[in-house]
Amino acid sequence: MSDLPAFRRHWLFATVAAVALLCAIGAAALFGGLFNVAADVPHSNALYWLLETARERSIAVRATGIVVPDDLADPRRIVSGAGQYAEMCSHCHLAPGMKRTEISRGLYPRAPELRRGSHLTPAKTFWVVKHGIKMTGMPAWGLTHDDEILWDVVAFLRKLPDLTPDQYRNLVEIAPKTHGETMEGGQMDHMDH
Amino acid sequence: MRKTLFIAALLCGAALNSVMAHEQHRMECSETAIHAMHADIQAMEDGEAKTTAMKEMDMAEDMMAKKDMDACMTHMHKAMEAIEK
Repeated sequence: MSDLPAFRRHWLFATVAAVALLCAIGAAALFGGLFNVAADVPHSNALYWLLETARERSIAVRATGIVVPDDLADPRRIVSGAGQYAEMCSHCHLAPGMKRTEISRGLYPRAPELRRGSHLTPAKTFWVVKHGIKMTGMPAWGLTHDDEILWDVVAFLRKLPDLTPDQYRNLVEIAPKTHGETMEGGQMDHMDH
Repeated sequence: MRKTLFIAALLCGAALNSVMAHEQHRMECSETAIHAMHADIQAMEDGEAKTTAMKEMDMAEDMMAKKDMDACMTHMHKAMEAIEK
């Protein structure tokens, strides 16, 4: 029994020393510039998985409770979303019939090619479009667009994987031509409802 | 007239050559190109195409280590095909 305090002292000393060592290694890595931030050198698969899992969980937790409008299949929403998508998203996320762009090649992590579909639910997609994702190049469109416009984009994204290049082009052609037009149209529609 | 046509053909040839060289540069068996392919693969959904692309890239890197650039390129092309499926 008389050895117990000494044992505890040693244990405490070992713990403090281990923590100090970890802090020193962390500080050396941080201030020594060990982590390569270059976008042309990918993360290791383990780090990529870690960041991806953190991103997926963050989105899932924050998208809980978002109420999805029941008119996402409304053609007016889809057409409006097509115009927004062509203007704001297609340069990075591409579109049917579109070749990879320089920006889509250079982004890291790569922006998903949404014509191939997405595993995100409408609520999660809305959250991502509205709030963006740090350190991915995905902007927070909610700072400059109202929710209804962003739901139009979500409505279009549900349709996107089924579209041929011609169908995509046709939708974009009949979409409201300017941002202002869409915003005004959208706001007037909401006032009508 | 013939001279003009000849010059035009030469210019077209030079432009085409430059485009092909540019494509070649992108797909060359280099560390940068391999990094870019890995970034593409990381963004793929899990599945057969991703597995194939990863295997091809492993083989491409093996060939690169053995300085067999032609074989490296062949595997990189196969990986690219799997990525673009």
